[in-house]
Amino acid sequence: MFSWYGLTLVDYVVVAVGMAAAMFGVYWLLRRFGVGRETSTGYALILPWLIGLVVWTVGPFLASLYLSFTEYAPIQKGWPTWIGLDNYVEMFTEDRRFWRVLRFTLGYSVINVPLGLIGALLTATLLNQDVKAIGVWRTLYYLPAVLPAAATALLFRWMLASNGLLNDMLSPIYNLIDVDRPSWFTDPEMVLPAYIIMGLWGVFGANTVILLAGLKNIPRDLYDAAKIDGAGRWSMYWNVTIPMLSGTLFYVLIIGIIGSLQTFTQAFFIQHTARAGTFMNVYIYQEAFERNNMGYASALGWVMLVIILLFTLLVFRSSSAWVYYEGERAK
Amino acid sequence: MDTRDRETSRTPAILRPRLNRRVAVKGAAAIGLGAPSMRFAMPAVHAQDIVQIRLGTWAAVEEANELQSVLDEVNAAAEGFEIISEPQPADYYTKLQTTLAGGTGPDLFWLSQEFVAGYADLGAILDISDMLESDDTPAADLSDYFEPILRTAQYDGRTFGLPWISQPVMLYYNPQLFADAGVDEPTEDWTWDDFRSAAEAITDADAGIYGTSFNSWPPIHMFIWQAGGETITPELDACPIDTPEAIEGAQFYADIIYKEQYAAPESAIAEQGFGEMMKAGKIGMFYGGATDDLDYAYKKDPANAEIKMALVPSGPAGRTTFAWTASTVINADTENPDVAYQALVALTEGIHHWKIVAPRQSLATEETIAEVVPDKAESAPIIVQALEDMRSFNIIPDQAEWDLTFSEEYQTPLFFDEATAEELAPEVRPILEDQLP
Repeated sequence: MFSWYGLTLVDYVVVAVGMAAAMFGVYWLLRRFGVGRETSTGYALILPWLIGLVVWTVGPFLASLYLSFTEYAPIQKGWPTWIGLDNYVEMFTEDRRFWRVLRFTLGYSVINVPLGLIGALLTATLLNQDVKAIGVWRTLYYLPAVLPAAATALLFRWMLASNGLLNDMLSPIYNLIDVDRPSWFTDPEMVLPAYIIMGLWGVFGANTVILLAGLKNIPRDLYDAAKIDGAGRWSMYWNVTIPMLSGTLFYVLIIGIIGSLQTFTQAFFIQHTARAGTFMNVYIYQEAFERNNMGYASALGWVMLVIILLFTLLVFRSSSAWVYYEGERAK
Repeated sequence: MDTRDRETSRTPAILRPRLNRRVAVKGAAAIGLGAPSMRFAMPAVHAQDIVQIRLGTWAAVEEANELQSVLDEVNAAAEGFEIISEPQPADYYTKLQTTLAGGTGPDLFWLSQEFVAGYADLGAILDISDMLESDDTPAADLSDYFEPILRTAQYDGRTFGLPWISQPVMLYYNPQLFADAGVDEPTEDWTWDDFRSAAEAITDADAGIYGTSFNSWPPIHMFIWQAGGETITPELDACPIDTPEAIEGAQFYADIIYKEQYAAPESAIAEQGFGEMMKAGKIGMFYGGATDDLDYAYKKDPANAEIKMALVPSGPAGRTTFAWTASTVINADTENPDVAYQALVALTEGIHHWKIVAPRQSLATEETIAEVVPDKAESAPIIVQALEDMRSFNIIPDQAEWDLTFSEEYQTPLFFDEATAEELAPEVRPILEDQLP
């Protein structure tokens, strides 16, 4: 057993020595071609990062594009079988699961992103007030961002159980309107609302802090000028705060869209009823690792990338209508 | 030890890099993995020419400790190899597939019955038929294995692994709940009707007590078999789920699962746990594996309800019971196929004296069961009786995909009363048959 660990340690040493040799090699080569000392040193120092980018990002990226046109089980013998566009054709014409999963994922994003954005904005606005112990409040509201997603998922599984905290809290309302306690993760109608409730947890995290930073960055003199012009609190919020914050909102919106479309951890840990569908990333994982269809999973991944790009592009194209940049000339 | 072994022992593993084709397929990623993975592709060799054989299992802590005791004995008696246990209790198959794809998979590994055909079809595991034929050790004697169990380790007429367990489904019941409901305890003559009547009598949904508990377990296939139907034919060429017999079996199951007249609702099972509800005295009858601790857990912890074991009730065509089984197989990329085979046979012999019920007729006796797990001594005669009726699935290479389709298109709508078995079966059959080899 010791030899096994010992050999693993040797692996790491070999990689480290190899990397150092490569860095010296690059430096030596660049110097031989007349590149300046400082530039050569710079390239040599970023070499490990460059290798990491090629090996761990660009390589798998291109490999997955190739695999999406193949039939490939990771454990199979031999090369993947080239099948052209078959995976994509199957996805759009035969795979009923794909449409159900896509509907579920988009449904979640369409509701969760605006709700999350509004919630984060309101929370940031509250935290921007001059109240006592504001530092403590800000720390408390940032805590959700520190907790691991898996732990949060398990926490919500408990809170949203039939006899869980949420149903206990809402039981007077259930009694009032005469409905049974919902089974959040076993009733297919309630699964999406359950995930949306869980998603709101993210309101009190990084987004709130980013928006709070944006709020702090708004010059006070704008508010003073607005006051002199007779603006009320709501008018100032709508005509000063929101425009000045629009750049930050734009960023949070883009990140929110991408994050919600890539939801994975919560659904992976909670294991809700299959009748409701699931998130696209979970489906991709299931195809790749549970059903051994790495080629098809790669195709799903690329379609998801295109969908995310489309949404992102849409927001970017719309940004000229609602995002205000201070340095920008009026058109 | 063959020539390759001798070469291996002379040269330090780290100095002999080897890239396989699948690693190359990974493209750029493989470049980074190359250096570390090269060593993993090598057999680990002791100075004394002992080949280390890595064993991949899903064993959790307690099971892994027990397995280690078995391995200690096997290794002590072994010549030329040492089996190293590498348990992966979480995400076992994901990790296994990833390591196999990366060329770093264990030499031996466990596969549940539904995976053997698929791995064999993809060439990921070694065909050991010829090795078995020339081997006269008891664990290699295929005629001693229960035929339905052995079949799960075979594909296309060839044998790819050795089963290490045969666990028939039994009926566990709570005698106190039977007494409270004024119902006689199960007997050998019990039929579906007796089961359903007892479940209804025991159920008191307001008190959280249910006659039984189905949750896609036990497999619906078992009830289809008991009615005389089939889900996949033994020839793997049809899915006759629309025969009157198959429909009767499926509908019987659908009429019970999650129906609060007889059984625990889905939400209760999800939140309170399947077996846990039985142990907590909330379930009257539970289909469980013969190895489950239900029938003796109360002796170790009085908080658990007293539970007894019986044969499963008979359907119209018999008392067929599902047998869960798993096999140990050899990685097709192992550097030492011959040594790995020796290790497989030795390990299988060891496991057959550890796990109940051993899948061999010579070992599946009351005495052996009682000797291996003394707590099961009382239930041993019933378990042995159930072995006569046990069988496993007829398995196709793409079983995971087939199972998913069967579950989504047939079971789920059936269980939630979206349609009857008679309505669904003819529609789903062609979809399932599309996935046959």
